[in-house]
Amino acid sequence: MASKIIVKNLNKSFGKLEVLKDVSTEIEEGEVVVVVGPSGSGKSTFLRCLNSLEEINGGTIIVDGYNLTDKKIDINKVRRNIGMVFQHFNLFPHKTVKQNVMLAPLTLKIMDKTEASKKADEMLRQVGLSDKANVYPAQLSGGQKQRVAIARSLAMNPDVMLFDEPTSALDPEMVGEVLNVMKDLVRMGMTMVVVTHEMGFAREVGDRILFMDGGYIVEEGTPDQILNHPREPRTIDFLSKVL
Amino acid sequence: MKFFDLLVKHFSTFTSAMLVTIEVTIMSLILATILGVVFCMFKLSKSRILQTLANFYISIIRGTPLIVQIFFIYFGLPMALGFRWSLMTACVVIMSLNAGAYMTELIRGGIEAIDKGQMEAARSLGLSYAQAMRKIVLPQAFRTMLPSIINQFIVTLKDTSLLSIISLRELTQNTKIIVANNMEAFIMYGTVGLYYWLIVSILSEIAKMIERRTTYGK
Repeated sequence: MASKIIVKNLNKSFGKLEVLKDVSTEIEEGEVVVVVGPSGSGKSTFLRCLNSLEEINGGTIIVDGYNLTDKKIDINKVRRNIGMVFQHFNLFPHKTVKQNVMLAPLTLKIMDKTEASKKADEMLRQVGLSDKANVYPAQLSGGQKQRVAIARSLAMNPDVMLFDEPTSALDPEMVGEVLNVMKDLVRMGMTMVVVTHEMGFAREVGDRILFMDGGYIVEEGTPDQILNHPREPRTIDFLSKVL
Repeated sequence: MKFFDLLVKHFSTFTSAMLVTIEVTIMSLILATILGVVFCMFKLSKSRILQTLANFYISIIRGTPLIVQIFFIYFGLPMALGFRWSLMTACVVIMSLNAGAYMTELIRGGIEAIDKGQMEAARSLGLSYAQAMRKIVLPQAFRTMLPSIINQFIVTLKDTSLLSIISLRELTQNTKIIVANNMEAFIMYGTVGLYYWLIVSILSEIAKMIERRTTYGK
């Protein structure tokens, strides 16, 4: 299988604070990687480096064959193929749900109006929100907002999806609807990197779990290895608190 | 009644003076908005030189009285650089430069008030910085800025009265000339006050209307 994302010796600091230290990993096409760890472990920063939302201080990241550290690449082109879903949804409040989904394909002239509209309808159907097409984000619940955010990313036909704690800002009763949409994506074979605290999700659909702490990938392996037979003391300690 | 007689008698000069006031205000604010956007981009840019330039401009305008700016630009500049300009041009330049500094800060405040996540979401979809600014950040920033922009409109409108000092025949200067002839200071200055108050009140109402219109789905 081909590696979709290759991370080599990634280093990232905010001022004097080193957030990521020599992180290396490879993510294969169609793989679902779940990143877990305590807050401040660098897992969100790691994810944000994968589409260059954070400038890195050292190492290389190769996505889809594009070297993100290469100054000559057009990062906007690369990002078209990497969808990202944020903890706080970040929907565009001045646009309706459908306009949110259509905005990027139209602005980037990837689709014409008819195509973009058709694509938006299709994506909203996929996340179960066809009836909300013409309302503004302010009228949606948290779970609905996050599903729109997923539809918005999918409208660009990405081949990798990054999820940054997609359910952390949700009321508990809405977590399920978002996870179900994500599970649908897994079934469709999407390459996914998910930062989350949902261990059930990790166990059920994750191909691999990365456990991060203090800026390092401390341990990685299948959900069974990590969740049932962790070897590192820090992993054991963390899991004893969350499971 | 003397009051109404005077009002009727001077109605036409008041009207043309009011048009001058409004003309200077509107032209200045259009230019000030352009200056504001440009200097705001300077401030948000990564270049230290452009940042310093913008900060210097704002600091000078905010740190000196408008009346000094008027004298300096209208009398000082032509003398030092050896050129002449029409009163109207000079007045628009003065008011634009003055309001432009305040507009810069206002626009920057509006942009910075927009959640960082908006820019990130737009960029993560593949939009360039400029596209994200134009489609996502600026439309939202404009909405939050609108009340302050209208407020700046009101401030500038009232500030144009200071242009009477270099004898631009706007509302205040017009009144000064009338009072010099008929000595009716109480009635005439009262009347001109009423004119200003009326225009400002209408503007405030328009502002409220626009604000109500631009609330999305709340």
